[in-house]
Amino acid sequence: MKIEGTHVFNGPREDVWEMFYDPNILASALPGAQKMEMVNENEYKFDMNVRVGPVSGAFSGEMQLENVVKPDSLTLKGGGKGAPGFLNGLGNVKFKEQEDGTTLMEYEGEVNIGGALASVGQRMIDSVAKSMIRTGFETLDKALAARLAAKEAGSAVVDFKAPTEAQFAKEVAKDLVKENVSSAETKLVFYIIPVIAVIILFSVLVKSCGG
Amino acid sequence: MAEKYVGQSIRRNEDPRLLTGNSTFIDDINLAGMLHIAIKRSDFAHAKINKIDVEKAKALPGVVAVYTAEDLGDYWRPGPLQVPPPSVIKGAVFFARPLECIAKNKIRFSGEPVAVVVAESRYIAEDALDLIELDVEPLPYVGDLEKSLDPGAALVHEDLESNLAADVVQEDGSWEKAAAEADVIVKKRILVNRLAGAAMENRGLVANWDANLSLLTIWATTQGPIPMRNSIAKYLGLLENQVRLINPSIGGGFGPKIMSSQIDDVVIPWIAMKLKRPVKWIEDRRENFLGTTSERDQLHYAEIALKKDGTILGFKDVFYHNTGAYNPYGMTVPLNTQTHTVSNYHIPNFYTRIKMVFTNQMVVTPVRGAGRPQGVFVMERMIDAAAKELGMDPVELRRKNLLQPEAFPLRTGIIGQDFVEGILDSGNYPYALEKTVEGIEYEKFKKEIQPKARAEGKYKGIGVVMFTEGTAVGPYEGCKVMVGVTGKVSVITAYSNQGQAHYTTFAQVAADNLGVKVTDVDVVTGDSGQWSWGVGAFASRGITLVGTAIHNASLKVREKALNLASKLLETPVEELELEDGVVRIADMPEKSISLGELAMRSNPTRGTVEPGMEPGLEAASYYGPPHGVTGFGCLGMIVDVDPETGKIKIEKLVITDDCGQPVNPMVVDGQLHGGLQMGIGDGFYEHLVYDDYGQLLTASFMDYLFPQATDMPAKTEIIHSITKTSLNPLGIKGVGEAGAIAPPACMMQAFEDAVGLKDMFISESILNPSKLYHYIQKAKGA
Repeated sequence: MKIEGTHVFNGPREDVWEMFYDPNILASALPGAQKMEMVNENEYKFDMNVRVGPVSGAFSGEMQLENVVKPDSLTLKGGGKGAPGFLNGLGNVKFKEQEDGTTLMEYEGEVNIGGALASVGQRMIDSVAKSMIRTGFETLDKALAARLAAKEAGSAVVDFKAPTEAQFAKEVAKDLVKENVSSAETKLVFYIIPVIAVIILFSVLVKSCGG
Repeated sequence: MAEKYVGQSIRRNEDPRLLTGNSTFIDDINLAGMLHIAIKRSDFAHAKINKIDVEKAKALPGVVAVYTAEDLGDYWRPGPLQVPPPSVIKGAVFFARPLECIAKNKIRFSGEPVAVVVAESRYIAEDALDLIELDVEPLPYVGDLEKSLDPGAALVHEDLESNLAADVVQEDGSWEKAAAEADVIVKKRILVNRLAGAAMENRGLVANWDANLSLLTIWATTQGPIPMRNSIAKYLGLLENQVRLINPSIGGGFGPKIMSSQIDDVVIPWIAMKLKRPVKWIEDRRENFLGTTSERDQLHYAEIALKKDGTILGFKDVFYHNTGAYNPYGMTVPLNTQTHTVSNYHIPNFYTRIKMVFTNQMVVTPVRGAGRPQGVFVMERMIDAAAKELGMDPVELRRKNLLQPEAFPLRTGIIGQDFVEGILDSGNYPYALEKTVEGIEYEKFKKEIQPKARAEGKYKGIGVVMFTEGTAVGPYEGCKVMVGVTGKVSVITAYSNQGQAHYTTFAQVAADNLGVKVTDVDVVTGDSGQWSWGVGAFASRGITLVGTAIHNASLKVREKALNLASKLLETPVEELELEDGVVRIADMPEKSISLGELAMRSNPTRGTVEPGMEPGLEAASYYGPPHGVTGFGCLGMIVDVDPETGKIKIEKLVITDDCGQPVNPMVVDGQLHGGLQMGIGDGFYEHLVYDDYGQLLTASFMDYLFPQATDMPAKTEIIHSITKTSLNPLGIKGVGEAGAIAPPACMMQAFEDAVGLKDMFISESILNPSKLYHYIQKAKGA
């Protein structure tokens, strides 16, 4: 699956870059994440649980950042596997300073998934991807705002609470219902969404996080 | 003389036990101490195996054992090939890569087995699957039929130079000559989609090793019980009769169940012997989609050469055939495509080339139709394209080029799946065409109904296509027929039954020859403990091969009964008659002896017998034809396409089918109904889709669609044409695949006719509402 797009972050490029380098932010913004740690410079490991409907089990993986040109661009490579299947992704991310002080993020990449995730969930992904990416960025926008506020106040504590898995799924479901998904599919959506949420948010984050 | 059963639509002997739920299917078999098996399948489509870690799975309470290819030691082996390569075809190249029962060093398709868990329950076994860790190195996925042969393409089998699995050229006449003489040559690229067998019941296998008797009993849903038994015996070092393979009742086969040398028949019996416990494996639906063979998937570059008046001079077809990760079934499917491409029309020059390619997809083996629909689809589409080019009516162009009744028997010059040159033994194609055209009211539709519909903004179209069905190929089948002391008759064969009504049709053949009621004939199928010889249920060959063997065996039994009665009644055989289970003296009906009595007397328990005497009223017989017999027909359809939704309604369907002498016309109708439903699915619903990484996206009935009862035609008319073959004594031909062959070709013609776009050509064998909708939008804009 190809993913590409842009997003404008309401903050300076250095702050955006820093946020993506904070594994705690990523872990808290990733539903189902149990652990995300930096094992080496530009190398992360993560564990997460996927326990929904017919697709369930533990998932673990790693990701690497390559071609890192701080605070301009980087390439992300990552993958994970577990009982529900596997996921591999490669993404290129660029951060561009805008004249108005915001940061334009451009991303393009390819994600491929396999196993039950693919044969049960994949056909849903294209229709949910847009919504998932939007929700994912909203979360990151809030995280950035909280970091900037803390910075301004000179506080070490960042007042940011990531949305729960359920809140996340609800947002996406709402979007989907708006898109006139038929009732049978909507029901399906409710149990598949958490899986997809994990995949998409993860892939978006993988692409952006490296940053 | 009582009326013969053959030719009568009598009710099915097996229905009472099936309809009352009293049949035993594979999952109904439960043995004391039985263990359950679940199979770990690869998520990756193409990968090198570094390590398979099963320790955590083994540690799960209730797990008895976990095996990988390594654990099988020397017992692990690829194959053998189930169907040999086409060595009789000159210049044919075939790179045999038989199935690996369980992946050893490399994974070649997503769904390929990598480990087996044996546990006290299926639940535990399934849980243990999640604990198996697969350390693999993913490799590039090979899926595109043309690109798979690119010089830089990743290799499915590294020991080969390319992904070419076979290259076979056959030519009859000279295409070059035809092309040089032609007024018009039409060229098209045509894609045939992939579909599943999708039987109602999935596969399964139960194995029980009795060390005391040295007897391995296997219950399996196989369509080929004897070859599977022989293979199991050979590799386990047992004699054939030390393996008893039994078919329980089977809920549909449709081809994929013919496969052996898979994980179930190779590994599960081995486990039963190793653990000395009965074991059971029942395939689930997702496994069936991922791991059980499927078919179609060809890409054709076809050319047809014609004179201005519509006379076909020649046909050229170069096609890619996807065999998936291995090619265990030889060339059966693409050879069927070659033989069926030109089986309806007079085509003096025919060039056909198969490029069979390996891909990282599920293995391709026959699914009902088995290459025939592809050949028919390509030819019928090309005739439609030519008709547009020449400005001719498609029915008229067909009529002009059809093979005529006096052309038979006709040697086709093309070698088929049975490795002999195709011979079309008999036929009356113009009759089939005219009956269908008449039944579907072609002229009336074109002149009155369609213009009226169009004026009302409706999109109705008509399609009429021809088809043939090569059936009843060798090598052979056999049976044993015996009269019991009750006077009832036993017919025993190792042919496999998946719902084809053998308990009735086989009984009809025997009952006629032995003068008994059809309900007094008991038919045994698929039990190697009772009968040891046979090949299997494929190529619509059951009634022709086994039916003929039963006919011959029951005539032998009849002769034995009459000879014995002649002695006992002291009357010459010519003066005896056999009817109602009794042998009588024709003009002294009160002097008679029952078949049961004769059976008793044929097996004396004291005294002496004459030299050479054979006890019992029993005879065996085998039948193997020199070549297959070809059924044929013509399918017509009227479809209504909803311009707002692209949904379709098949308003009327007429099929004229000729399968020679129908043994039971009602059963023939059933085969046609089922086949048509599958064919309609093939044209608009059933579609296996792999993504760009080799993941099957349609691995459940959520995404893999079937035509529902409501999608079937509002009106269906079946016309039986009967052209008996002289190849067998009853004049019968097969019919199992007939219905499934022509619908996609017929539907595409009807869709084009409905949309009414001048230059429209549907080049693929499946459409969907979305695509049809776009065509209609285009037509509206035109």
